[in-house]
Amino acid sequence: MNKKGTDKILSMYWFVILVIVAGGIFAMVYNFYGAPYDVRGVESEILAEKIADCISKNGIIDSEFFIEEDFNEEIGDTFMEKCNFNFNVESGYGEDNEIQYFYRVEFYTLEEMENPKFNFYGGNKNWENDCFIVGKDDEEYSRLAKCTEKRFYALKEGKDQYLIKILSVVGKSEKNVKQ
Amino acid sequence: MKKKGAILIENVVFIILNILFLAVLILFLVKQGSGAIVLEQSYSKQIALLIDSAKPVMLLKIDMEKGKKLAEKNGIDFNDVVNINGNIVKVKLSEKGGYEYAFFNDIEATAYPDTDDKNGYIYVITITKKEIKNE
Repeated sequence: MNKKGTDKILSMYWFVILVIVAGGIFAMVYNFYGAPYDVRGVESEILAEKIADCISKNGIIDSEFFIEEDFNEEIGDTFMEKCNFNFNVESGYGEDNEIQYFYRVEFYTLEEMENPKFNFYGGNKNWENDCFIVGKDDEEYSRLAKCTEKRFYALKEGKDQYLIKILSVVGKSEKNVKQ
Repeated sequence: MKKKGAILIENVVFIILNILFLAVLILFLVKQGSGAIVLEQSYSKQIALLIDSAKPVMLLKIDMEKGKKLAEKNGIDFNDVVNINGNIVKVKLSEKGGYEYAFFNDIEATAYPDTDDKNGYIYVITITKKEIKNE
């Protein structure tokens, strides 16, 4: 047996393993830090919370949502201003500088939970469909918009009770997903 | 005797090489985690999200100790690290770098550097209601 030769092969083999391990660690770290932090989930949750705060305080729906007995149909046009939202800020994000946010608010009466009695939306409607894609949590769908659905009950001036559903969506894939 | 000495030197060299290899690996990991690109992104996104959830008259204080050290190392004045222009937060920790992230909350936000009670470096973000401009 040539012991010296075997030792050399062994140490070479050891260094090959070291190089493979190092390569693996470099690749993993590069992959981890190379991908941006995805904060869209948190952002869409904050948006939903803000919308909820804007609709009702202490469980009572803001009086601006009603004109006498009916819903104020024009609230959708003024909602962004009322809630201090500015969606027109993402210059350079996405194709054609499109707006990266969307929300939809639906009011249901307790008698009719299938169809909303009143609803309105704001932002870029193109993002809404991303929320209904099956299997959207898979890796291959990571560039789809992130959605948050929030629902709560509130009263109209202490009388009628409504179920309010809020859907908030944040696009911004260019800043949050590895391209 | 001669053979035993040779084995010892071989082992010592082998151990030193292994330690060197591990040290380089750890250094690489630490450097990657505290690099300007990673910190710029994390600070700007953190600040944007904080502003999004804030309400007028709030005062937000952000610990920027790591950012201050890195900015100093890269020759960036700490006063210029965080900039809020309109609805966009920009954090710059290196000469060529800089990361922007937008927030949707339509308020007036301003940022200035300060120190906390323990003399740690922080940034203070003030949130005020946007003034309506009469044309």
